[in-house]
Amino acid sequence: MRRKWTCMPANARRTAPAAIALLVCALLLSGCWNTREVNDLAIITAAGMDLTEDGQIELSVKIYLTSPSSGDNGSMSGQPDGDKGTSVVRSVTGINVADAASRLQKEVSRRVFWGQTDAFLFGERMARAGLEEPMDFLMRHIASRERAHVFVSNTTAKDVLLLAPPIERSVADALVHMAEQQTGLNITMMDLAQMLISKSKAAVLPIVVIREEQGEKQSFPYIQGVSVIKNGKMIGRVNEDVTRGIMWLRNEIKQATVTVSPEQSDGYVSLHLHRNHTRLIPKIEGGRWIMTVRITGQDDIVENTSDLDLSVPDHIGKVEKELEKVVNTRVKMALEQAQKELKADIFQFADTFYRKYPKIWEANADRWDEIFPEVEVRLETDMRIARPGLIGKNFFRQEQR
Amino acid sequence: MKLSNHLRENLRRLRAVYNDCADVVFHDMVIGGHTPAMLVYIDGLVRLEELDQHVVAPLRDAPGPNPALQDIRNQTTVASVQTCGTIEAIVEKISGGNPVLLVDGQNAALSFGLSSWEQRSVEEPTAESVLRGPREGFIETMRTNIAMLRRKIRSPKLKVVTLHIGTCSRTPVAVIYIEGIAQPSLVREIMSRLNRIEIEDVLETSYIEEWIEDNRYSPFPQLLSTERPDVAGAYLMEGRVVVMVDGTPTVLVAPATFFSLLQTPEDYYERYVVGTAIRWLRYFFLAISLLGPSLYVAVVSFHQEMIPTTLMLTMARSREQIPFSALMEAILMETMFEALREAGARLPKQIGSAVSIVGALVIGQAAISAGIVSAPMVMVVAITGIASFMAPRYTIGIPIRLLRFPIMFLAGIMGLLGVILGVIAILCHLLSLRSFGVPYMSPLAPMQNNGLKDVLWRAPRWMLNRRAKQ
Repeated sequence: MRRKWTCMPANARRTAPAAIALLVCALLLSGCWNTREVNDLAIITAAGMDLTEDGQIELSVKIYLTSPSSGDNGSMSGQPDGDKGTSVVRSVTGINVADAASRLQKEVSRRVFWGQTDAFLFGERMARAGLEEPMDFLMRHIASRERAHVFVSNTTAKDVLLLAPPIERSVADALVHMAEQQTGLNITMMDLAQMLISKSKAAVLPIVVIREEQGEKQSFPYIQGVSVIKNGKMIGRVNEDVTRGIMWLRNEIKQATVTVSPEQSDGYVSLHLHRNHTRLIPKIEGGRWIMTVRITGQDDIVENTSDLDLSVPDHIGKVEKELEKVVNTRVKMALEQAQKELKADIFQFADTFYRKYPKIWEANADRWDEIFPEVEVRLETDMRIARPGLIGKNFFRQEQR
Repeated sequence: MKLSNHLRENLRRLRAVYNDCADVVFHDMVIGGHTPAMLVYIDGLVRLEELDQHVVAPLRDAPGPNPALQDIRNQTTVASVQTCGTIEAIVEKISGGNPVLLVDGQNAALSFGLSSWEQRSVEEPTAESVLRGPREGFIETMRTNIAMLRRKIRSPKLKVVTLHIGTCSRTPVAVIYIEGIAQPSLVREIMSRLNRIEIEDVLETSYIEEWIEDNRYSPFPQLLSTERPDVAGAYLMEGRVVVMVDGTPTVLVAPATFFSLLQTPEDYYERYVVGTAIRWLRYFFLAISLLGPSLYVAVVSFHQEMIPTTLMLTMARSREQIPFSALMEAILMETMFEALREAGARLPKQIGSAVSIVGALVIGQAAISAGIVSAPMVMVVAITGIASFMAPRYTIGIPIRLLRFPIMFLAGIMGLLGVILGVIAILCHLLSLRSFGVPYMSPLAPMQNNGLKDVLWRAPRWMLNRRAKQ
């Protein structure tokens, strides 16, 4: 009678305990084989790869020191406090990155943990020799993050890793935060991989330069310029001004401040740019490859020391024109370098053409290196000043008209 | 056994039944100066003054010899008088506190509804307190409890069926439902399950709860229990059936669903926006109280890459000095917390504060300084502790607190995979459960759109009008 109320038939009720016992055994006997406690890990916050003189790869990693005794504090409570100098750099060499990584494990008492690595650096020598091999390792690796930021070091990657910049907790933090401000290029592992496998086969990476200061603890790295990579190899670098042009073309300018000097007036107007957008519109016309670059943006005036009273609508138009001119100049500089000097399609024009004209592109795919320098770029820049700021005329320049 | 016409014969049998019962009083009396009679009652269960005034005094002055039973009945000034024809019926009445009058020459006895005993006054139930809403709670006397319900729902459709359960205790049990709202088949099923109970005593509703629930091995309660008349009344209006047991303030409501166990009366007494927000908060913390420590263990010992870097570095630092694995740590602390909670619940109030002082040491900075547990673990345990207090009913809080431990083990063995397996297993079980034929997870599974407005959110009153079908 009562059995009817339970959910299991009679024979299931007999065998269920045995089945459960077997399942539990199967679970427990396998053990916690891949468990790894946090305190058994050597956490790598940044890694760098350099090419040594004899063609071997030197892998340098910044390992975060978790043990309080190695830091300068003896607190048991594990509170984070001034953890300057709480990282160490270990370097190993190997015939390739994987080899070096396995040697690294030999020299570190704890399990090397790549899952929190936020920054990867390549020394310039390494970058010029080719990123193909380290990229294969890093993308194939289960633990390394696709969201990690990638940089090329001006000198060797190890030099950068050895720094302990004063503001941030570690050099990795400093680099990542700088990249994320987007005053320079902000390239992650994922972006790099996408660029490398794209139709254009060209990529850009931010270059890290060390600013030497008194004492090693005061020196810090910062991002300056762009390294241009073609077919996996670094082929050149461009300076800071051209970088802005590249960023315009790649639609990576999020915020910027530009100072212009309007015609027929002395003094300057500074504008804060935001809501910038760059659109690439490809067109193939009778064998001519044309790329229309449409740049739009909204600006605020942040400073005005010119002769113009910017509450007058006509003057706004003048400043807008001037601003467009400045942007165009920079973009043209970038195009000039990429098309004529480096011959590297770092703006991903190839993919844009491919998306619109897949068949024509396929037919000309082998000739892309010849076509790219000849692509005609038409600039359509449209800048709008949205807000002139809280005041009209400059207080001290009542003569502004 | 039928009563005989002779008082002496009846008394002999009755005295045999109440052999060695010092609290049973056999009060000798003579009706109207002629007819011998005997008043039998249990000391302490009877309103003695009223018995004197309304039964003993009028009968002593009753006129004439050999009065009929009806005459005697009319002579008394008691409203509730019943006639009993058998010894068993008499015993039942006496045990229930009703004085029984046996008269010579009559083969029936009169029982007077003058039972009364010491009872607790109606107070606010401590386990289900509200900020807004009625503050009365059920007490140990079923009679009072039914009256409280009747005062809420004054319709004659409120039906009360009583029966006695317990071969020894003969505890009165009432099945209460509203005719026309509760499905007749549900009432029949409950009655038949109650009738099948073979038990000696019923001291609390849980005695019969375990007999009548659908799956007897499940950790989840399949009947609701409440101490509040307003809650019981609300469930009656939803078509559920209330089972009440004399001697306990807790009543059972059947059928129960998982989501009904997560509702509080205040969800309905507050404005619907507030009710909805609190309900969501409750669902969220219910998940935390089940999974909190397991997720922590899984992430810390298997999936370190999931933690934000800055937090990871801080955690790595604080874990450095800890000799135990995250799993050991979690089990240690969670067990400690449960122990503290249990100790606090059972202790007298005066000593209770001592437990909280020690508790703050065990789960707190001292434990961290001693190098036994890490700071994040203490946080996790504390958050889980708060989350477990969010369970609106003790009965639903317990299985969730218990199931936390197996999932913690799974997390320590297999990481997030284990947590997911554990959750799947619990969900499978919940989905297979039924309470009196109603799927436990309804109205979510099987999906009933009409019922969802009282689960996903608390719809405004005017939208809740239509009764959820079972």
